Amino acid sequence: MVRKHVAFPRFSHYNLCIKYFVEQALDAEYIMQPPMTNRTMEIGSHYSPDSVCTPFKTSLGSMVDALEAGADTLVMTLGFCRLGYYGELQEKILRELGYEFDFVNLSEYSTGNPKDYLKALRKIAPKASMAKMTRVGVETLKMLSCLDEIEAEYYKNCGFELHHGDFKQVWNQFLAEMETAENLHEIEAAFKTVKKEFSAIPVNKPEHPLRVGVIGEYYTAVDAFSNLNLEQKLADMGVEVHRWMNVTNRNLHYHGKNLSVEIKDYCKYEMGPTSTANIWCAKYYASHGFDGIIHAKSAGCTPEIDIMPVLQNISSDYKIPTLYLSYDSQTSDTGLDTRLEAFYDMIQMRKKAV
Amino acid sequence: MQEAYLGIDIGSISTKGVIIDNQNHILASSYIWTEGNPMGAAKKLLHLLEEQFDQGNYRITATGTTGSARKLVGDMVGATIVKNEITAHAVGTTTLYPDVRTILEIGGQDSKIILVENGIAVDYAMNTLCAAGTGAFLSSQSKRLGVEVEEFGQIALQSKHPTQIAARCTVFAESDLVHKIQMGHTKEDIIAGLCKAVAANYLNNVGKGKKILSPVVFQGGVSKNVGVVEAFKKALGCNIIVDENGHLMGHWVLPFWQAEAADENPLIFLWKIWSLRHEKSTVENVRITARSFAYTGTGCSSTHGGTDAIMEH
Repeated sequence: MVRKHVAFPRFSHYNLCIKYFVEQALDAEYIMQPPMTNRTMEIGSHYSPDSVCTPFKTSLGSMVDALEAGADTLVMTLGFCRLGYYGELQEKILRELGYEFDFVNLSEYSTGNPKDYLKALRKIAPKASMAKMTRVGVETLKMLSCLDEIEAEYYKNCGFELHHGDFKQVWNQFLAEMETAENLHEIEAAFKTVKKEFSAIPVNKPEHPLRVGVIGEYYTAVDAFSNLNLEQKLADMGVEVHRWMNVTNRNLHYHGKNLSVEIKDYCKYEMGPTSTANIWCAKYYASHGFDGIIHAKSAGCTPEIDIMPVLQNISSDYKIPTLYLSYDSQTSDTGLDTRLEAFYDMIQMRKKAV
Repeated sequence: MQEAYLGIDIGSISTKGVIIDNQNHILASSYIWTEGNPMGAAKKLLHLLEEQFDQGNYRITATGTTGSARKLVGDMVGATIVKNEITAHAVGTTTLYPDVRTILEIGGQDSKIILVENGIAVDYAMNTLCAAGTGAFLSSQSKRLGVEVEEFGQIALQSKHPTQIAARCTVFAESDLVHKIQMGHTKEDIIAGLCKAVAANYLNNVGKGKKILSPVVFQGGVSKNVGVVEAFKKALGCNIIVDENGHLMGHWVLPFWQAEAADENPLIFLWKIWSLRHEKSTVENVRITARSFAYTGTGCSSTHGGTDAIMEH
């Protein structure tokens, strides 16, 4: 049988995990398309409905990147907002453009019965062993939580390094190792090394640094290309950047019911895929002495627009400045710089006065 | 020889400059149109300031730039400090009005709201995807009506029944305006309606979800328009303070604020030197200053623009 060449639209560092699973468990080749660029955004926007949210455009562009890089099987995620319909539309757009490919749309398999996801995997690898998929699945989740943990540590500390670029170098090295890792041992060894190397980097961190919590729409808050390097920009100003939102927290260890108990004073119902988490998170940052909150979303993201009034209540109850950022397909970042600089000045002057 | 400080605010529409002494007295000031050429406007401004400036008794010891072309012009004049306009406005206003609780600011293409508590900015918002209801809107409509935008305010005050104009979106507002002209509304009523629309648009977009407490200070170029000031008074039901130099607020505070902040880096600039073209040494100084204030932003491209502003608001 011909080996399939599988690809998934770029999403932060998570393509590394998918690559690991595809190559180790499914006996297929994974095609890692280049990181997203302005061209990705241009192509994506060109073939997308104008008013659709930005993740549709970037993921469509990234699918084209993957097809150009030699992929013959595209996988698209499911989702609990409009995202759930995106795969179907994107497949149609790509087929109308004339591309030939197999399409595995996870939305088609989200029937409520988890066993149905197995059918999606069988579509890529009809004969893959169940035992192997289970073992590699567990290893993949291990890799995923290692990546998320290290990334969180990176953004909390890289703004305080004495020698510019130290953290970035170690983080990039770790990403490269995850890309080539072939077994659990390699993942764990690289994780240990990066932990050690991070703690050896000389830093000059004040006892009470400025702390900012980043919340928002899943894709835009997490993906650095989509938020114009928001977290790096903040960190470079000398801020400890926290972001709870990642796949580990939102999907692997998520207890939505328990979070909604903690925010029942602010909202009663679930409003969208990340709404409960974001409201909880904003309240957490506000009540734990953070200096500011930044809410990032793609323009037109209805669930996130809906939670903004709640965030405004939290902001005024706890007296914590909140900056709301909307991203669209324009990739220029001068406007973002001005807003972030002003936000930084504000929280810094505020902290000094208190 | 006494110390003096120069501040320049290069906005999308207008370029403003002042020179102040260390007591915050204005020694020279000027206000000109940018006309799409920030470098040219800045040069022209420096000449205008030079004419008013007493070079015999004062010398400039620090320069600050702000506004959307702050980095470009900052490089050109060898600025001691390059600061974003939001911070500049907040610091400037809280220095002059220590009790202020809300700062409304409408400029050429930006509008901002800054909430202040105990003299410190605690929250701010700025228009993101849409420039409806800013100075640029008033300028373009003034051309359509054949009236100078500077006269807008006085004309608006003569109206007894301001026309209702759809203010959500500039494009729709314009269609509505044409329609109202054709229906026979008077010029005064239409202009007053436009001023009202600017205030309403601002409160619905930038001011959305923000608690506007008195005292309120209104500044930026549009604050010179008494029609808009009146509209804000009616909409908010409180007095609106407009500083005589409100349009200059963005920058005049910069130099003296900088003087407090950058004691360790006193750069002496002679007036003659930077009215010439910038030299290598001054560019070096800009870099040093930029680093000491932890700035990382680069790039000179346009700001965010977008299609779904209506959905957003």
